[in-house]
Amino acid sequence: MKQRKFIILMLLPTILLISFIILYPTISGVLLSFKNYSIFNFGKVKWVGFENYKEIFSDVFYIDIVWNTIKWIFFSVFFQLIFGFILALLMKEPFKGRGLYAGFVFYPWAISGFAIGLIWSWLLNGQFGVINDILLRIGFIKEGFNFLSDPSLAMFSVILVNVWYGIPFFAIMILAALQSIPDSLYEAAEIDGAGYFTKLFKITIPYIKPTLINTILLRIIWVMNFPDVIYGMTRGGPAGSTEILSVKMINTVFYESNYSKAAAHGVIIVTVLVLYTIMYLKLTSKKEFSL
Amino acid sequence: MKKKTIWQIVRFILLALFLLFAIFPLYWIILTSFKPVYELYTFPIKYWTNNPSLYGYRKLFEFVNFKQYFSNSIFVSLIAAFISTIFAMLSGYILSRKEFKWRYIVILYLFFSQMIPSYLIMVPQYIMFSKFHLINKLISIIIVYSGFGAAFSTIMAKGFFDRIPKSIEEAALIDGCNEIQSLFKITVPLMLPGLSAILSFSFVNNWNELFTAVMFLNTADKYTVPVGLYSIVSKAGIQWNVLSAGIVIALLPTIIVFSIAQKYIISGLTQGSLKD
Repeated sequence: MKQRKFIILMLLPTILLISFIILYPTISGVLLSFKNYSIFNFGKVKWVGFENYKEIFSDVFYIDIVWNTIKWIFFSVFFQLIFGFILALLMKEPFKGRGLYAGFVFYPWAISGFAIGLIWSWLLNGQFGVINDILLRIGFIKEGFNFLSDPSLAMFSVILVNVWYGIPFFAIMILAALQSIPDSLYEAAEIDGAGYFTKLFKITIPYIKPTLINTILLRIIWVMNFPDVIYGMTRGGPAGSTEILSVKMINTVFYESNYSKAAAHGVIIVTVLVLYTIMYLKLTSKKEFSL
Repeated sequence: MKKKTIWQIVRFILLALFLLFAIFPLYWIILTSFKPVYELYTFPIKYWTNNPSLYGYRKLFEFVNFKQYFSNSIFVSLIAAFISTIFAMLSGYILSRKEFKWRYIVILYLFFSQMIPSYLIMVPQYIMFSKFHLINKLISIIIVYSGFGAAFSTIMAKGFFDRIPKSIEEAALIDGCNEIQSLFKITVPLMLPGLSAILSFSFVNNWNELFTAVMFLNTADKYTVPVGLYSIVSKAGIQWNVLSAGIVIALLPTIIVFSIAQKYIISGLTQGSLKD
């Protein structure tokens, strides 16, 4: 009995705080999405049922936003994984100054997404941007790109930046997993005469597969929920070409001040996430996902 | 033998490219922050400046009250990080050491609350806090950040506690300590690297948070650094050296904290929240 009291007392502060800051607002957000709470409507807030959802789904641009979100997630995570994997492989064998090197290549991960967006919007500036200057100097292009004001290039640009941002995270996770592979596995393979790529595909990748699965699936959630970089670069523009679900939701708060509609956007995103997480838990067995 | 040398060279080149790709943007923003105005928008673009100028920084502190934003951010981020770390220490300890019926439910609860992103619930939070008349007060975002921090910090803390052998505490209990004493006298000192990692990680997250702060804080004396940057960008005709100076200042604490605690943060992340 005393033991039980101790457990409850120690857990209570955290549980209460999280309930107050996350659970309760989540529930009230769901309720809010069925009302008409907006800046023009403070006095007469009432229940409107699925009105907000109908409005969202009847927006002809909504399908573009969904499509943008899919592109954003797929290409961001794909290239973050590939480059993060390569970086981790390169860093696996110790070399002089590896700790310092890690500090420099991993630092982008600690910076705010919004600041990263701002930094890159200067680098990619159509008139005075250094990226255009470099591409022109090496003769790669003849005329500067308008990376952020050209709708056909804007999505490419924000994904490029998000890849830059996400490489360290994948590299960190994969590097940690790589370092747990016992050397004896490689030694045995070398005796059998296995080359680099044989070892990569027969030993390395199978061994770190659980880490890869977990990291990719969690990253998809994170990338889907990550409006910061886009907000620093384009805020969803030009002409909605970089508007993903999370950016749309924030724009609904900041520009339309339609809080109920924003909440409905939020509920849709959370629903997708919950469905996705259930799939995630089913895909990765509980053993791999030890809590 | 020769094959090995070629591989070494290729590896070196690739490592150098990754490094260049990672640090060039940082170099560029620092360079821009020190460029005099007349070099900002000239051709050909200058990759170095012989006339470094503090104009950007001066303007930032004279016309935009960046000093205030900076101290607000330090205050908010530190206090919230401390609160969530203490909460996480208590609950992480229990989740790591005790077996009880609803343990799995608690962990699942933490896990799912960790997945709700801050921007999704900032409107309900705003409505909730306005009932308590806490809007435009720093305390409101301290509470919000503490709550978000507590969720992931607990999971991280559990991972760190898992790596400290239980036998050490058992020995202390036999020596006549009670559980609280053994936690604070034996386990917590061993946990210090882990706790500092959790603290640093929370601090960095709090420091970087934008949307809740934009929503909650609406007068310039309350702005945090990200909100300050946001407001600078919203103003038309901002010079890039001033904005770059602001970005550099915004990056400084995170880069310092990250470079000190990097090793522990990374081990906390890889061992705690994502375990194979």
